Amino acid sequence: MTSTLNRPPAGSAQAPADGPAPRKAAPWRRRMSALDSKASPYLYISPFFVLFGIVGLFPLLYTAVVSMHDWDLLKGQGDFVGIQNFVTILGDRFFWNSIFNTVSIFLLSAIPQIFVALALAAVLDQNLRAKTFWRMSVLLPYVVTPVAVTLIFSSVFNEQSGLVNNILGVFGLDPVAWKHDVFASHIAIASMVNWRWTGYNALILLAAMQAVPRDIYESAAIDGAGPIRRFFSLTIPSIRPTLVFVVITATIGGLQIFTEPKLFDVSSAGGIGGADRQFQTTVLYLWEMAFFRQNLGKASAIAFLLFILIVLIGLLNFFLSQRIASAEQRSNDKRTARALKNYRGGRS
Amino acid sequence: MKLSRRTTAVATVAGAAAFALLATGCASGGGTSPESSDSPVELTITTFGTFGYDELYKQYEAENENVTITATNIDTGGNARTDTFTKIAAGSGLSDIVALEEGWLGSIMEVSDQFVDLADYGINDRKADWVDWKLAQATDPSGRIIGYGTDIGPQGLCYNGALFEAAGLPSDREAVAELLGGDDASWEDFFATGNAYKAATGKAWYDQSGFVWNSMVNQLDEGYYTADGELNVEGNTELQERWALLAGAAADGLSAAQAQWDWNGGKSFVDGTFATFVCPGWMLGVVQGQTEAGGGDATTGWDFADVFPGGAANWGGAFLAVPETSEHKTEAAKLASWLTEAKQQLGQFAAAGAFPSVAAAQDELASNPTPNEFFNDAPVGTILAARAQGVVAQFKGPDDSIIQENVFGPVTQKLDSGAANAETGWAEAVTLLNELID
Repeated sequence: MTSTLNRPPAGSAQAPADGPAPRKAAPWRRRMSALDSKASPYLYISPFFVLFGIVGLFPLLYTAVVSMHDWDLLKGQGDFVGIQNFVTILGDRFFWNSIFNTVSIFLLSAIPQIFVALALAAVLDQNLRAKTFWRMSVLLPYVVTPVAVTLIFSSVFNEQSGLVNNILGVFGLDPVAWKHDVFASHIAIASMVNWRWTGYNALILLAAMQAVPRDIYESAAIDGAGPIRRFFSLTIPSIRPTLVFVVITATIGGLQIFTEPKLFDVSSAGGIGGADRQFQTTVLYLWEMAFFRQNLGKASAIAFLLFILIVLIGLLNFFLSQRIASAEQRSNDKRTARALKNYRGGRS
Repeated sequence: MKLSRRTTAVATVAGAAAFALLATGCASGGGTSPESSDSPVELTITTFGTFGYDELYKQYEAENENVTITATNIDTGGNARTDTFTKIAAGSGLSDIVALEEGWLGSIMEVSDQFVDLADYGINDRKADWVDWKLAQATDPSGRIIGYGTDIGPQGLCYNGALFEAAGLPSDREAVAELLGGDDASWEDFFATGNAYKAATGKAWYDQSGFVWNSMVNQLDEGYYTADGELNVEGNTELQERWALLAGAAADGLSAAQAQWDWNGGKSFVDGTFATFVCPGWMLGVVQGQTEAGGGDATTGWDFADVFPGGAANWGGAFLAVPETSEHKTEAAKLASWLTEAKQQLGQFAAAGAFPSVAAAQDELASNPTPNEFFNDAPVGTILAARAQGVVAQFKGPDDSIIQENVFGPVTQKLDSGAANAETGWAEAVTLLNELID
């Protein structure tokens, strides 16, 4: 009874729910859904940025703060000194020595590395038996940790009875002071870097080469281009972006080289890159400044200067590759224009 | 829509969880456990080099059933220095007990408040145990004692009897001590004998100039610093005279120009590259280890003589300290104290050759000669006890280890290679000093 009596109001309460109520609920829902579609993407990508903020940006800014203070490793923060640490470091002969060593080792490693990696990739790109075996073999050195590599190479390049000097002796050559001579030590360290990274770069270049359409090669072969001509005229231009990538990563890695010089000769002051800093790289000098000389302020200044240097070289790389790309574009345009002109000229 | 909202929630929760994980990874457990002597406690301890503590840990664990010891040993004192400094700088990570080396104690003393005052843990009752200068070294400027002394490094001379004999020199250890001047042995005598040896055999006399230089400096009343803590290198004629002596010896070809801590993989200890080696107590273990690594054994001929050029010298030695960050200070101090008692120091000597800093243990070694098989049955404990007579503590400044390693280290290498002589070498050392120390 009561239910029937009560029905009309219930029904009337339901009626507006069908009508105006959705209009009331909709804005909230719509707002939520708008917020969802607007904010969610940012939320999805936020882990990267939050992580980057914690482990990337914050240390970067904190380094800047430390670099403008007297800051002892043990005693902690001292007075604010402004750019004094930077001035001292820029006038420090050991800093420039470390820059020279870094660049020298970088050039000795990056250049041969990329040429050999290219050659290796070209060989691996052929129809070989047991492809996977060969590809894994070139990657094998990369799996070994740099510390182990350095310990082995340090023994191989031992001055007194290391393998290399023994072999030189067999051919009647004088032993080389691998850990005392500037150039020889750079070669030794560059050889470790090359040993470790050549295979890795070769695989990246190989992947790029595999993406080059095979029919281009076929038509080039039909046109009479030999394998060498095909490599230089087809392969190299096709993998140029990858090549630029490899050069840039090699640059960044090369400028941050640390483990190899640190452990190459530990008998001099626990490994500061040779008794006379013959192979002390910039990162190693940074380490010496922070953890041996306990001056975190100057160490941070070195870190910041190195950061700026890497950014500058990165920009240089970028512009160079832009140049190459646009030069290529221009020559392509010219070629097309010429072809078009010839075509039209031929027709008319 | 609904699905995507749920995904958002999942993503948010996952993200939050990831950060929570990160956060817990950074923060160390903050709770302190009650320090009753019966509740189970895990103590961590960090030592370096050849410390010889393994058996002692087992013994302590057996005697104190509630204690578990987790020990870490770092290969060299230099790496232990980096490890300790980094952890002090980070404000966490130090073990409950940390071994500190004499060479870098000067830096530690600048932040000695990072370590507990052991007077609060009963070290005052044991003050009389140690030789007084060892205790003085562990006392910071405000009078707090921060370390239990473990070993000291009195220096004797390691020499190769077989090579001495081949060169027509006497080879038994009393005669060698006599040959080098006995109690009045001087560096001049040492190098003169070296020249005679070189003339007879054409071979080098000592391994490299770096260790000889360390010995020469450590032997002085004041080394790189004055007792008041002032830098004491430039214009220090005593130091410069010794430098000239060493440079002369290197120029005469008495140095074998070996790489420190490498010695061609130990082979140079076996193949007769050099005939003498400066040996603090803890170095005896190094000599034996290197000789064995190079394929030699007791028949290689190494022996240990009760003589040292320039008189008594101490190089190295360590302390056990308890950092303020430890959560078990009482238990840690108890273990560290036990490890440095006379009986345990004798155990350490037997295991690693580290010479005790506790007088009772020194007396025990002095009165009970025990032959050491590797060193041609020399009673090394008794000899070291004799070498410890007259040792004086030298003040170690905050940058002492940098001056030793980074200033004079490279220049002594240049003396050995002939790239520097007495004057140019000294000038270069002074330049380096002014550049590196500010």
